[in-house]
Amino acid sequence: MRMADILSRVYVAALFVFVFLPILTSVVFSFNSDRFPTVPLGHFTTHWYETAFSRPEVWLAFKNSLIVAFCAASLSTMLGFVTAYTDFRYGFRFKTAYLALALLPPTIPLVIMGLAMLAWLGRLGLSGTLIGIIIAHTVMGAPFAMAICRMRLQQMDPALEAAAWNLGASPWRTMASVVIPFSTPALISAFCLTAAVSFDEFIVAWFVSGLNKTVPVMILEILQGNVDPQINAIGTVVFLTSITLVILAQLLILRRSAT
Amino acid sequence: MKTRFSVYPYVWRVPLLIWQGLFFIGPLALMVAMSFWLVKNYRMEPDFVFKNWDKMMSRGYFWDAYWITLWRASLAALLATLIAFPASYTLAFKVSDTVRRWAVFFLIVPFFTSYLVRAYAWQVLLAESGPINAILGYLGLGPFTMLNTGIGAMVGYMTLVLPLVVILQTFSLAAIDRNLIEAAWNLGASARATLFKVIIPSARVGLIIGAVFAFILSYGDFVSPFYLGGSKPPTMSILIIDTTKSGQQWPRAAVVAIMMIVTLFTVAFVAVGAAYGRRK
Amino acid sequence: MTIEDTLVTFEGVHKRYDDFVAVKALDLEIKRGEFVAIMGPSGCGKTTTLRMLAGLETPSGGKITIGGKCMNDVPAHERDTPLVWQSLALFPFLNVIENVEFGLKMRGVPDFERQPRALIWLERLGLKGFEKRRIDQLSGGQRQRVALARSLVTEPEMLLLDEPLSALDAHLVIRMQGVLTKLQKELGITFVYVTHSQSEAFAMADRVVIMGQGEISQIGAPRDIFRAPKNRFVAEFVGRNNIFAGMGQSGGDIVVAADRISVSREATEGASVQAAFLSEEFVGTAIICYFEGPDGEDLKALVTEEELEALSPEPGEQFWLSWAPEAVHELEGA
Repeated sequence: MRMADILSRVYVAALFVFVFLPILTSVVFSFNSDRFPTVPLGHFTTHWYETAFSRPEVWLAFKNSLIVAFCAASLSTMLGFVTAYTDFRYGFRFKTAYLALALLPPTIPLVIMGLAMLAWLGRLGLSGTLIGIIIAHTVMGAPFAMAICRMRLQQMDPALEAAAWNLGASPWRTMASVVIPFSTPALISAFCLTAAVSFDEFIVAWFVSGLNKTVPVMILEILQGNVDPQINAIGTVVFLTSITLVILAQLLILRRSAT
Repeated sequence: MKTRFSVYPYVWRVPLLIWQGLFFIGPLALMVAMSFWLVKNYRMEPDFVFKNWDKMMSRGYFWDAYWITLWRASLAALLATLIAFPASYTLAFKVSDTVRRWAVFFLIVPFFTSYLVRAYAWQVLLAESGPINAILGYLGLGPFTMLNTGIGAMVGYMTLVLPLVVILQTFSLAAIDRNLIEAAWNLGASARATLFKVIIPSARVGLIIGAVFAFILSYGDFVSPFYLGGSKPPTMSILIIDTTKSGQQWPRAAVVAIMMIVTLFTVAFVAVGAAYGRRK
Repeated sequence: MTIEDTLVTFEGVHKRYDDFVAVKALDLEIKRGEFVAIMGPSGCGKTTTLRMLAGLETPSGGKITIGGKCMNDVPAHERDTPLVWQSLALFPFLNVIENVEFGLKMRGVPDFERQPRALIWLERLGLKGFEKRRIDQLSGGQRQRVALARSLVTEPEMLLLDEPLSALDAHLVIRMQGVLTKLQKELGITFVYVTHSQSEAFAMADRVVIMGQGEISQIGAPRDIFRAPKNRFVAEFVGRNNIFAGMGQSGGDIVVAADRISVSREATEGASVQAAFLSEEFVGTAIICYFEGPDGEDLKALVTEEELEALSPEPGEQFWLSWAPEAVHELEGA
């Protein structure tokens, strides 16, 4: 191998180290005894996990996060799927505007979404409720779900639906017995990814949550105080949750696109 | 000949319109309207006055925030593009398909993991008494003040945007027709000439889109400037949070938000227009 | 032809898209038990015609009947017109037998009855033992047969086929042609077969419908179309024909099939033209020789190996191409 090739690989490795360093740091220090993180490290401890998870509000936050992630992911996936199907199947006037409406939310800065949602949900009497957070996270997750479902539908032979009609299935039955079974891997991976998005989202949730805090909102509030290694412990659990969801989603996408 | 009317297509089309109308367009429209409302006795009252706009536009701190945000996001986009390019180039041309697929796989993971916890980890790492300064200390360097400076904020931005920029660049580079590159060599172009005359122009759209995403993400981010950049001077996002959370001045926060959206879309449209527009 | 014999009629059927007419004023009758091939170049409207028959496209005008009943407003899923797709369109998430059972399931045939009926068809098409296979574990020829079984399991009166063999290797095409003709004879049902391949259409069909630019150019038995093409389009589309402009009795164009042309170095008696040799192509036992005629037209003659050796032509050499008067077929119009 030439020198330049070796250097280029070292460069890629360095970039990966930079990207993953904060994740690793958080995991390492969550098991480190020192309150103020320094090198060399102190000894191994599960103290921070014990402290963090002995607090009922941490459990409550996890419960809230799971409820929100589950509901927002379900709604996002449904919304994303019907929109992806519409794009796949139909052409109509103003379709560009329709798609823009579907895909625009991620370009709006989260702080602005938070402010707008706070004001709007307040008018609807939903601010401070979990439903409010679910609504906000659905708006943010649906475009991801749509993109994933749309990619899957792209792989579907357009004759497949017509073949089902031709064999006596009405459009509704075709949806249930052909389009949805075909899209199942995408639906599951869209669910996992949007759940991960919701599980990690804290800005909009912070604006609208009130007293019903999710995990990231709680981390945010602890962060505003002093250095506290409990964050590493909670953060590690959060990482594990979202990484599991993301890897699950990815494996489904990769495995299915191979066939 | 009349075709039978069917509700089938509309069942799939309508949910998005209702949902986005109710929970995306609605909130944004209200925010725009709100920027013309008045706050009296800590309560907002619908109105149509330009007072909030006058107030914000005439404040020095608003324009300080405006320019620092624009400058930092532009710098982040430029830096991310330059830092990512050698890595993307390697992933696109020097490694096998399998390695590339796994690399992209691992780059997607951090995008969906808690940015907040990662920022906190950087807070720990970059602290004056933190591990990085400790290691530098063994080498007889430092300590350096990195936290609560522009450098700290920039580290945070890179954490946020680099994975995405590398993915987008890698895809656009890998999509270049290999024959094009071989043709350039065959015609006697040097490695440098091939890079600047063939590879970069061919991947231009992907490179610009990557930079635009880096810009959008950094521009709207509040975690890095706040927790790593020390929020002095505040960016637009921090301004919105401060204005909203302290003292119910939502209409003024709305003004800042609208200015942000207008700026963001202007930059994005100009950049994307440049990406596609001047194609021969 | 009596009413009972007729299964399908097209009466003045046309299909218009926004700015494009796919099919114009189509009149066609298809008999019960007939093997009809609709043939033409791509974009001639043959697939649109088939899709209208299956209810996948709605005619813009005219009337389609099946078994005497007007079908214009009957949606696809309420017809019994199974189609074998060019892409096969097998359901990738179902296994072989589930694919075959699909049509029965949609028609509400109970579980216990579906499986034996599907198995009969799988066995008949030589797919016994493959019931539980996934579609991506099958070869091209096996998939083809699953698609056939899936369409035939409901025992329809008519089977529609849209270029079903276009994705297969050449040797498999010949085998599947055999399978299809045998099946059609045994079942005695109507096959409507759309293809752009002359060899497929001529090898299998009782009647061939040639379409060009949305219209029927000629309908007839394969042999009639080959020997007596009605116009220049058909003559050109059906290969191995030579067209000589203005050489007919009344100054019209004439057609002489390649196998009726004799080639010699000297001028002969009777009708002939002088042409320059271009190249040769082996097709099985015979050889096609290509020539350039006096007006630059492409001409071809079918010769045996011995004849070719005797001639031993070099590119650019001039030869005389001649034919007997009975080999001439005059085209309609100028």
